Amino acid sequence: MTLLLALTVAVVFAAGTYLLLKADLVRVVAGVLLISHAANLTLMSSGLSRGRPPVAAERGDRVADPLVQAMTLTAIVIGFAVAALLLAIVYRVYVTHETVDLEDLSRHDARAAEERRAEEVET
Amino acid sequence: MIVTLSLALAWVPGVALAAIDGRRRAAGWFAVAALVAQLAALGALTVLVLEDGPQELVAGSWPAGVGIRLRADALGTAFAAVSVAVLVAAVAAEVSDGVQTRAFPALALLLATGLTGLFLTADVFSFYVFFELSMICAYGLTSIGGRRGQEGAGLILAVVNLFGSFLFLLGIAALYHLTGTLEFDAVAERLAEVEPTSAALIAVVFLVAFAVKLGLFPFHFWLPAVYATSRPAVAAILSGALANIAAYGLLRFGGGLLPAELELASTALAGLGGVSIGYGALQAIGRRDTAEVLAYSAVGQAGYVVLAIALGGAVGFAAAATFAVANALTKALLFLSAGQRGAVMALGFAAGALSVAGVPATAGFVGKLAVIRTAVEDGGPVVVGLLVLGSALSFLYMFQAYQHAVWRGEDADAVPSRGHVVAVCGLLAATLVLGLWPEPLLAAGDQAAAAIGGTRP
Repeated sequence: MTLLLALTVAVVFAAGTYLLLKADLVRVVAGVLLISHAANLTLMSSGLSRGRPPVAAERGDRVADPLVQAMTLTAIVIGFAVAALLLAIVYRVYVTHETVDLEDLSRHDARAAEERRAEEVET
Repeated sequence: MIVTLSLALAWVPGVALAAIDGRRRAAGWFAVAALVAQLAALGALTVLVLEDGPQELVAGSWPAGVGIRLRADALGTAFAAVSVAVLVAAVAAEVSDGVQTRAFPALALLLATGLTGLFLTADVFSFYVFFELSMICAYGLTSIGGRRGQEGAGLILAVVNLFGSFLFLLGIAALYHLTGTLEFDAVAERLAEVEPTSAALIAVVFLVAFAVKLGLFPFHFWLPAVYATSRPAVAAILSGALANIAAYGLLRFGGGLLPAELELASTALAGLGGVSIGYGALQAIGRRDTAEVLAYSAVGQAGYVVLAIALGGAVGFAAAATFAVANALTKALLFLSAGQRGAVMALGFAAGALSVAGVPATAGFVGKLAVIRTAVEDGGPVVVGLLVLGSALSFLYMFQAYQHAVWRGEDADAVPSRGHVVAVCGLLAATLVLGLWPEPLLAAGDQAAAAIGGTRP
């Protein structure tokens, strides 16, 4: 079970890193999300234990570790908020520059900088 | 009680302001008032901690060991107080000049909440939660405002720092797996018996996570773009308040939780710090734009903090804390006064420039002196030489920046409002007073170093 989880985390993390290196901003956001899920999964697997859920446990039962679940839940909520924020920023980028491709964006910036320099020379 | 108050005074107004249009002047000044009240609470807390020792609080009146613990010690309160002081100045300046985005006051207050929470918590996971809270506010602050290239810079900041945050979360998972607890004290105690290889791996993960935040040399690539495109108040908040997280994190996690691993890596860390100092200074000399000069200067200052931590021991930690606090005030002063018209602004920029260079009678001198003293004791001639060279170079680039910004008045096109002038005066006074009367700063540094040692078994 531990090996399986470790492999899953590795694959998800690698996929996330691959997407993070893309020029398309939507893919970059997807990459961040995948990495956050890899972290969540690691958090879950850091306290693997078998037993009854603590809410329904009788005295003397073996109880599963509830702390990792609470932590993962919190981390998922944070990841959700971050994803919403990132997508909002990407949307702002799209509205102002009409592209979500990083290479196009830096080309835009270079052209704008050149125009400003030309203006300065004129004045 | 006062621990709760210092959190709630920013949290409650922050949540309330989120529903209100922050461009209204009343909303803005309300945020400033809330921050001032929080600063007062933190000031009282700092005095209490320095006199009576750490203050503790278990959230929700749970029995100790079950509930989440808040623990205010000298290290945490010193960082919290200076971060909130910088926030007060930056928000007052921005509100007085006219806030342009509706979310600014609320985001600033929630950022203050996140920072105070993470400096005061005694629990590794709630450290992460508060840390994300403040980072999300910072992503918001950098990407709104409609300046050229700002969304792009905000996105870079968010993506790079989120990568660091999730690495940090992986580190926490590993820490919990190894020790089965989340409280700083208990983790430090149990980590001492853990297999060294696993602990070293965790230490590397934490180092990368915090080095990305701090902008240390190989992890600095996001920093110049973000500082150069942000509004001055936001840049002041990023470099004066947010960068404190990383210095605090390195001290708390490196010095407090993983002291053996820190010692193991001290040569490598000192090397990284040294390269960062040299690289930051050389890049800063080659730049014309004041914001870019200050951004690369921040890379250099990160090097000083890491070098002091690497040299280690109580003296090194005290030096790192003192330097970080002095540097936060200086950077906020520089960002708020750069590119503004008027004699007060020029004076503020000059004092900030001298403080970065480490000239006596400024707070920066006290910080740099502490680092150099550590280097003389524990480092060796190479480290001392490097520090002195770094200082000389920083004098050069700050003088260049002063020449461009003030004498030629190239970028000085903004006329500061009265509140902006008052904010700069406040930071200027803090920089000069701490430079002329450094005892409180040095005492706080020593107590902070003792607090780190206190969590060790």
